[in-house]
Amino acid sequence: MDLITDLKKTPFYDIHVKLGARMVDFAGFNMPVQYESIIKEHETVRSKAGVFDVSHMGEFLLEGSEVIDFLQYIMINDLNLLEPSKGQYSCMCYENGTVVDDLVYYEEAIDRFRMIVNAGNIEKDFQWLNEHISGKDVKITNLSSKRCRLAFQGPKSDEYLQPLVDIDLSTIKRFFFAHCKLNGMPIFIARTGYTGERGFEISFDNEYAEKIWGELIKAGASPAGLGARDSLRLEATYSLYGHEINDSITPVEAGLFWLVKPKEGLEYIGKNVLIKQKTEGTDRTIVGLNLMDRGIIRDGFKISKNGNEIGYVTSGGYSPTLKKTIGLGLIKKQYKEEGTELEIEVRNKLLKGVVVPTPFYRNV
Amino acid sequence: MVNIIEQEFPNELKYLQTHEWVRIQDNIATVGITDFAQHQLGDIVYVELPEIGITFDKGSNVAEIESVKAVGELVMPLSGKILEVNTDLADNPESVNSSPYGTGWMVKIEFSNKSEIDELLTVEAYKEIVEAEKE
Repeated sequence: MDLITDLKKTPFYDIHVKLGARMVDFAGFNMPVQYESIIKEHETVRSKAGVFDVSHMGEFLLEGSEVIDFLQYIMINDLNLLEPSKGQYSCMCYENGTVVDDLVYYEEAIDRFRMIVNAGNIEKDFQWLNEHISGKDVKITNLSSKRCRLAFQGPKSDEYLQPLVDIDLSTIKRFFFAHCKLNGMPIFIARTGYTGERGFEISFDNEYAEKIWGELIKAGASPAGLGARDSLRLEATYSLYGHEINDSITPVEAGLFWLVKPKEGLEYIGKNVLIKQKTEGTDRTIVGLNLMDRGIIRDGFKISKNGNEIGYVTSGGYSPTLKKTIGLGLIKKQYKEEGTELEIEVRNKLLKGVVVPTPFYRNV
Repeated sequence: MVNIIEQEFPNELKYLQTHEWVRIQDNIATVGITDFAQHQLGDIVYVELPEIGITFDKGSNVAEIESVKAVGELVMPLSGKILEVNTDLADNPESVNSSPYGTGWMVKIEFSNKSEIDELLTVEAYKEIVEAEKE
């Protein structure tokens, strides 16, 4: 375990170790992949509620009178669809349309936005954002290591959380957020998530980490690790940076064409390529996959049709909810129709797969 | 962290450094993966077993053990031929987690070179390997 002592730790690290979690390197952080069983943790989130340490993710505060103009230029989604107290999922892209990062930002005021980014992209995003301020009145503060973040997800999340907070949770609609107190401790709370269940994502100062974790567990939630987070998001078919999207895949190819907004009269980075792709289609696209043979498919496995390579698996694994193998693959567009049979190479063996509709499972 | 004290390694079995166990009865050996190995892999969701009748050398990998997060192998402790495979694992792969030395067994082999048995690890030797890997 000496190999991973250089990794960054979240404020919940000691709690994870005490719980006997299996710790792994995830984007430079020492994170719990599972406490006892990925499948059990997955099922708990689908049936009750789980609490995930997602403090490895980045948190930025963007302030200034020109923040909205700035974000309109750097994000592909349309800020005009946003309003104070609401969040928005978006991608920021390179000029060629491939993805710098996918993220969520929340409009706290017309001159103040909170942004949550992927752990592996914190430095890159911070630099990218700052490089594009170009004289606008925008100031970006990296709060990632001062604050911590938890995801509280599952059908019972409202019921468990309501007694702890001084706000009526039913007033927070999906993708909206509020600032409130959890047993007197100030938190940011948004009705967002990455599991396909109802739930919340909260952020707060590091000093409250242990207390808030304890309160959520006492309220009935069980700890859930990154393993369950991944199997839940795959069932719900949410893109994962580095898999379905990255700096060589565009959001249109990844099936996130709904994120690409016309924003008429406004320029934004990647617009020309993305609007063209959205109108004309792309040569390759992400599809849902099932296996007809028995086995498990994993990211990177080759996909072929009649012996010709047509793409690869971007994410794959066992679905604890559906009790079968599921996956996502980036393949040539002529094979994207549901029911198309194809072959997936699993360690030198070809298994029969089929294109299926997505999401595999969602309950939100 | 995996707690070694909670893991079981039956005294009557022989072991491999690669975390397989072997139960020898006459000229037949039953093989599976150890409690340590199933802990390391986590929830096992699929085991691809070999065909009955194939022959192999000691050290060959004959099965693939897929967990939610990883894939493991089943290394043959002795040279021989596959006599039987645990077909129950097709529907109950989680037996490998819940009963690694019982219903989670994987293959029965007829071994061809009895002298290879001497090269297998005793439970004491195997426990030392597990301790070392834990650090």
